Order: sequence, then C-alpha cells, then structure tokens
Amino acid sequence: MSFFWFIRHALAAQFTKIPPFDQFVRHMVDAGVGSLGLLTLLIFFAGLSLAVQGYAAFVRFGGQEFLGLFCGIGGIRELYPIMAAIICGARIGANLAASLANMQISEQVEALEVMGIDPMRYLVAPRLWAVTLAMPLLCAYADVVGLASSYLAAVHQLGVNPGNFVAQLKGIVGLSDLLAGVFKGVAFGWLVAIVACYHGYRSAKRDGAEGVGIATNRAIVHSAVLCIVLNMILSAILYA
Amino acid sequence: MPEHPAPSDDTPAIVLDGVSKAFGSHVVLDKVSLTVRKESIMVMLGPSGTGKSVLLRCLVGLLRPDAGRVLVFGEDVARLDPERPADRKHLFRIRRRFGMLFQDGALFDDMTVGENVAFPMRMHTDLSGKEIKARVADKLARVGLPTAAGKFPSELSGGMRKRVAFARAIALEPDIVLCDEPSSGLDPVMAATLDELILELHQTLGMTFVVITHDTAEAAKIADTIGLLSKGQLVTYGPREQVLGSDHPALRQFFERSTEGPIQVV
Repeated sequence: MSFFWFIRHALAAQFTKIPPFDQFVRHMVDAGVGSLGLLTLLIFFAGLSLAVQGYAAFVRFGGQEFLGLFCGIGGIRELYPIMAAIICGARIGANLAASLANMQISEQVEALEVMGIDPMRYLVAPRLWAVTLAMPLLCAYADVVGLASSYLAAVHQLGVNPGNFVAQLKGIVGLSDLLAGVFKGVAFGWLVAIVACYHGYRSAKRDGAEGVGIATNRAIVHSAVLCIVLNMILSAILYA
Repeated sequence: MPEHPAPSDDTPAIVLDGVSKAFGSHVVLDKVSLTVRKESIMVMLGPSGTGKSVLLRCLVGLLRPDAGRVLVFGEDVARLDPERPADRKHLFRIRRRFGMLFQDGALFDDMTVGENVAFPMRMHTDLSGKEIKARVADKLARVGLPTAAGKFPSELSGGMRKRVAFARAIALEPDIVLCDEPSSGLDPVMAATLDELILELHQTLGMTFVVITHDTAEAAKIADTIGLLSKGQLVTYGPREQVLGSDHPALRQFFERSTEGPIQVV
C-alpha cells in the first residue's frame, strides 16, 4: 500500500459521504479536549521564554518597548502554530496510528470489511475530519495561551509598559495573521491525521505487537518532520 | 434484515472452481474445486498452514485468487476488483450475506460486548434501539453469555470472546456463516454447546455454515460435507458418511491423530 494510494482512497472516503457522526465526535473530543492540558503547559512556558529572549535581545539597544511586536510576529505567525502541530500531532498521531494498527493486527479492520462496511469511510474519514477541524482550534488556543504568558512575563517580570505591549501587538497582528494561523492549523491537522492513519492502516497481522510500536513511532516522526517543512512552505507563501 | 435477490432453489451457496492462490513462490491453494449446497454445513479439515484460512478469505473477497472462480449464490466474487468502486460496492453487497467468526474473535476493543453484537444491526438495518437490544440479548443468551452485554472484550476470556464473536457473526442471521476454528480455545462443554448452536441455527433458520477446524469430533458431529485440505490441495471432499468411511491415508491419519502418514509436520 503506497502513501499516494492511501491518500487517494482516504480523500474519496472523506469527501464522498458524511462520516459516522459518533466516530467523528469521539475523535474530535479526544484530539481537541484531550490535548488541552499538555498544550497549555508547554505553550505557557514557550510564551514566557519568547518574552524573556526577546527582551534580552531588544534591551541591548533600548528597544524593549517592541517586545509586543516581537511576541506577536514570532508567536502567532510561527512559534505557536507549529508547536501546537508538533505537540498535539505527536499525541494525536500516536493515538490514531496505535489504534488503527491494533485494529489491523487483531483483524478488526477485516471484520468491518466482511460486514460490508468500508473501513476507509468508517475508520479513516471521521479521524481525518476530526483532527483537521480540531487542529486550527488548538492553534488558536495556543495563540491565546502563548500571548497571555508572554504578556505576564513582559509586564510583571520584565517591567515592560502594558499599554505599549498591547499597542505593539495590535499594530502588527491583524485578522489576516489569525486567519493564516487557522489555515495553517487545518493543513497541519490534515497532514498529521493522514500520516498517522496511513502508518496505522498499513500494519498487518503478521507485524504483531511490534507493528503497533513501529507504526506509532513512524507516525510521530514523519508527521513532525512534514509539519515543519509544510510550515516553512506556508510561511513563505503567506508572509514572504 | 438486509434484502438480497433470492437465488433459484438449485443454486449452490458456494462453488469454488479451480481456485489457486500463491504468495510469492509459496502455493497456498492449488486448483481447489468444491461445491457447498445451500443450507448445509461444510467442514474443512486440515493441518495448520495448509491454506484453510486463505480459503475462507477468498470466499468473502478479502483475498483474490490468482486463478479460478469463487461463486457465491452464482455471483463470481473473484472477478470483482476491490480497487474499482463499482466492484467494491457490489462486493460489499455480497458480503452482507455472510457472517464471519474470526479465529481470534476480531471484536472491536472500544465497544462493549452488547455494542459489538449490535453493530451489524445498527449499520445495516432500520431496527429501533429497543429491537436491537432485544436481539442482542437473544444472541448473547444463545451463546451462553446473557449477562455480558456491558463488559468490554478485554474483560473476557479467549473462549468468551469467541462466543461473543459468534453472536456477532449470526446477528443479522446471514445466509452463510464462515467459522474459522470455532472450537479452539473453548472447553469441551462450551465447544459442544457451540456445535449444538450451529446445528440449531442450521435447522431453524436454514443458514449455510462453512467451518474450518482441526477438530475431527466436531466435524463428525456437525458436518453434512467434509473436506480435507493438505498442502493446498483438496485431498478429499464429500458427504460426511462417505468421508468418515473412507480409507484415504491422509484422512485416516488426521482422524487417528497419527504422526505416520502422508501429512508431515515440517
């Protein structure tokens, strides 16, 4: 089973019929709500670091008042969406790949086939929709958490004027940046889901329990690498 | 229940005509030809690794044979290419006439026992939740697990999982039930209970059963027709009395559990 064969069939399954709603909701909740705790923790500290590092650089030439601008550009345009994609992608991708690989190895996918139910439509399509829609929400949430933590560090720890911080932020971050973040999130979400589903789905009974581990590992590594490459391409298109 | 075109009365449930299947240079099925009558129980015996499970997979189109025809109620499953959407749709329609008991159950881990048994009904019928619940209770009672509906497969023993899988396989009361080693992992009493259930469903609902097993006692008890598959070839195939009375060396070796004979353990 090649990756392109899988993409072709997955897209056909995703866009030709409404996916099973119960499966979609289940995976949406797992991908979205399930990722919130980890995402909050990591993005909070990333936001703090961004403010501290930015301040350290700008203070050398008295430009600390531009910290809001720096946190807006660096965080919202680049850091938070890609961090959300990699953090949530690892968690969600591992879950998807492991569950599908386990289903292949224990013949559950074949059982669906024998029942006359298309596994692509029943298993893959709802997962693709769920993660594709959950990821932009997670990216937007990461923006909020990251900016809040940068603001806290800048204003309460580094002594930056709060009005200046917000004004700089408003001046540089527009609606287009937020929409670009959502667009990136959709692209990252679909990419993470298709890569994870592919590695899980291509497992076979003969792979045994080891196959679940291999599928999970490949899903995490490949989705992280592809997300970083895609982020670079999208940034070049959106901001160059 | 799903509706299917009624075959003419004399159409066999299954016909294999010169079916061959190889994986690389390893020939698993070698020109296997047989006929399974409607409303009969066919038991296929054979040592491990001789292609019995591959045979079952060819019947439902999970595997396509390299050569030969696989007729299910007169329709050639082997001709259908799952890569072509129209053929795949047709294949899925044919598959709804089957129920299949997998060797290890293949129950859905994330569903309870009750949800597993209800699943085919939920997907393929318009039955109300109440009706489905009643049918699930009936099927679980038939396999001796009347109180297991709320449990998850991980909470069950191997034998219990197999019984739940059997309940799921017969949930839609399909025309043909394929059973891959139904008695393995079951204690003798439960294995006998499952045999009785196969006979009862066969007699009351006219289901056709294709049973793959090592268990010669089970074959002698339930089969109308017995076959022996060895090294990918159908060594013998015929009515139960004829096969049980046969002095074919491979068959005798198998029934007498002997190491001496044409079937060699590699």
